[in-house]
Amino acid sequence: MLKMNQRHIQHLYWRAGFGIDINFLKKIQSNSRPQIIEELFSDSEKIIPLQLNLSEFTSIKNKSANALKKEMGEQAFQKLRQRSQKKLRDLNHAWIERLSESDGILREKMTLFWANIFVCRDNHIFHIQQYHNTLRENALGNFRNFVKSVAREASMSKYLNNKQNRKKSPNENFARELMELFTLGIGNYSEEDIKESARAFTGWSFNNKGGFLLKKHQHDFDEKKFFGKKGNFNGDDIIDIILEQKQCARFICDKIYKYFVNPIVDKNRLEEITSIFYKDYDIKNVMTYIFSAAWFYDDQNIGVKIKSPIELLVGIRTIVPVRFEEKKQFNYLQKMMGQVLLYPPNVSGWKGDKSWINSNTLMFRMKLASLILNNAIINLEEKGAFEDSFDTYYKNVKKRNRYLKTSKRWDVFLKKYGNLHPRQLRDFIVMSKLDFDTETLLDGLEIKSNKDFCIQLMSIPEYQLC
Amino acid sequence: MKRRNFLKQSTLASSLFFVPNFVKAFEQVAKKSLGYKKLVIIQLSGGNDGLNTVIPYTNDLYYSNRPELSIKKNKLIKVTDELGFHTSLAPLKNLYDQGYLSIINNVGYPNPSRSHFRSSDIWQTASGANEYLDTGWLGRYIEQYGKIPYMGIELDDTLSLIMKGKNSNGIATKNPRTLFQNTQTPYFKKIINHQSDSHLSEHNLGYLYKTMIEAKSSAKYIYETSKIYKSEFTYPKNPFGKQLKTTAEFINSNLESKVYYASMGGFDTHANQANRQSNLLKTFSTAMEVFVNDLKQHNTFKDTLILTFSEFGRRVQQNGAGGTDHGAANNVFVIGEDLKTKGFYNAAPNLSKLDKNGDLIHTVDFRSIYATVLDQWLQVDDVSILNKSFSKLDFI
Repeated sequence: MLKMNQRHIQHLYWRAGFGIDINFLKKIQSNSRPQIIEELFSDSEKIIPLQLNLSEFTSIKNKSANALKKEMGEQAFQKLRQRSQKKLRDLNHAWIERLSESDGILREKMTLFWANIFVCRDNHIFHIQQYHNTLRENALGNFRNFVKSVAREASMSKYLNNKQNRKKSPNENFARELMELFTLGIGNYSEEDIKESARAFTGWSFNNKGGFLLKKHQHDFDEKKFFGKKGNFNGDDIIDIILEQKQCARFICDKIYKYFVNPIVDKNRLEEITSIFYKDYDIKNVMTYIFSAAWFYDDQNIGVKIKSPIELLVGIRTIVPVRFEEKKQFNYLQKMMGQVLLYPPNVSGWKGDKSWINSNTLMFRMKLASLILNNAIINLEEKGAFEDSFDTYYKNVKKRNRYLKTSKRWDVFLKKYGNLHPRQLRDFIVMSKLDFDTETLLDGLEIKSNKDFCIQLMSIPEYQLC
Repeated sequence: MKRRNFLKQSTLASSLFFVPNFVKAFEQVAKKSLGYKKLVIIQLSGGNDGLNTVIPYTNDLYYSNRPELSIKKNKLIKVTDELGFHTSLAPLKNLYDQGYLSIINNVGYPNPSRSHFRSSDIWQTASGANEYLDTGWLGRYIEQYGKIPYMGIELDDTLSLIMKGKNSNGIATKNPRTLFQNTQTPYFKKIINHQSDSHLSEHNLGYLYKTMIEAKSSAKYIYETSKIYKSEFTYPKNPFGKQLKTTAEFINSNLESKVYYASMGGFDTHANQANRQSNLLKTFSTAMEVFVNDLKQHNTFKDTLILTFSEFGRRVQQNGAGGTDHGAANNVFVIGEDLKTKGFYNAAPNLSKLDKNGDLIHTVDFRSIYATVLDQWLQVDDVSILNKSFSKLDFI
């Protein structure tokens, strides 16, 4: 029976989730690697959508904007809409809370991953919530169905202008990004392919409720020529033809490799997983293959990935349970570190890896544990938004020297980690190998309590890696 | 040896004695001279309404498109036979009269985006409308020519895309003391003081240490160099005035930093624009005049070029809420002492030929302005920074 050592289990759970709780680790430690991996997947089988209570806005869902304007008057309608848009923040908060609370951690991690592949942004709370749950639902499913579902989403239709894509005047935006960013990568298709495939998606639209709607009179039913094939293709046919290209499997596997294995891609390994994925485009299969591969646990793959801001934040909460009293302080943290969920910078998403790090973000990230766990003072402010008035844009200037309002469950931490030898605690919290000088420094520290030591460990550069 | 040189070298020698090799190597890059020209970029964030800033007061189309929002002929500062300034721009008119201002009309790019985020990214990365770049044009300048974060300073607490390179970035600070303090927290300090160069071979870990050391080194340099000079000028008491004041303190204390970036918020005037924009322009121009005088007093104005842009202009036609919606081409202000083209660089916008959204069509690509500034002001290779060759203009 193939057993896993502690470090390998931690590695698996850092990549498939946000680290691991020590009691949970003890519970599964005696299992074999296949068992542990199987459990990881079975824990994620259930799909629990993220649903806000949006009952006060049902009118927005059921009626068109024009009908509502008539009914309630322009001003009242705008107010209602603005209030509904504020709910996006709640969805953002609920999402982050979910990442800390869910048992189906792999599904959540994959959802986060796909949100940065099928990048989308929308102010319509019903549509974006539905979009978000489509990501979660397909996160471990079949990539073919996934792409077809995303192409039918209202939010995507708006974000990449597919709703403006009509037979008489095709809009190529969706067709272009479908190939450039979602499936093939730049340089693996021709401009002609974009033109022809855009025609196949004409008339693809949505109704108020966010359901898919084919506007037949705007759809081009004529023959198209795509990747050397001829036929009266519709959008689904186009997606099928794209998936026939092995490059599509390679493109997605490259993203998977960088996100789950190592930011530096090993070409042979990439080809290996590409062949697996290309067979059936089954996401669960390829992920199982990766997590089961001996090379996934090679030293060179452990502790070398720069955590995204969300991984950093949620990872701290995996060890020390923390509740945020003021949810809007989540926004502050995300803004300062450069990753606000549901607000990707553009359709190509967050670049990740080194781009998370500059002088300012690194100083902030290294202070994050003190801010959350040790009442460190906030002396920096987030930027205002484009839409802000002058006063709002700069409003935080006056609010210097604040704290994050959090309640920390140190009692829970101490029960689990209080009796560990400092060396054990260190190995549990830090995945990266230690810099020689930093290790000397840590060895020389007089450790008064594991609580302080935990915060210290989370403040060294090595903690930025997983 | 002159006493000054001796002092410079001896302090350098004594500090070198204590720092590990790679920190030395890093700090010495700064000594490579890059000239002493400075560039200050100001973004009027939200999309300033250029047509009510520089007003085409003889154009009937301007008045017919904006029945309520247009500015009457007798309520503006006439500058040329066809263009006038908003009355809030009186301080800017002073600069204009001294020949310190050049206005470039109709600046934009093909297929303009009307999203704040996207268009701001386009301006900051110097990309085309269909390109997604993840480095900013000042970031690429720093990466190629300065390497050290303090070569580019953003007057804020977080770093914008404009200042980001691939492996080197600028640094953001509103307050050099706070920045410095944040590198002086006991643990941060302890770790840095413990470093030798053994980790530089490590991939991402090495990058983290490099960034940390650069952050500390830059914070220290900025704080210690700039604290010797405090501006005695009275800037308007608002955050934008503070940003410019801090910039002047940096420049006047001879900080080696080459490029600065600040954004002033509040220009997204969809409703009740008249009052709001009037206040904003007043804030902007008052602070700008003090800034220029501050630099002049210290003889640094001649080496400073100030560029003001907005991510887009606004629609020619006013909307139903006493405001304007997102538009396209807009004017750019260039401020400097020795401009080649003083006053208006090119013709006023053509209001009879708009795009299908009813927006101004650009006649000058913003990247031509960048190319000119890089080539003729900072004197570096504009093509390698902009990834493409753009025709140059003739304003500096």
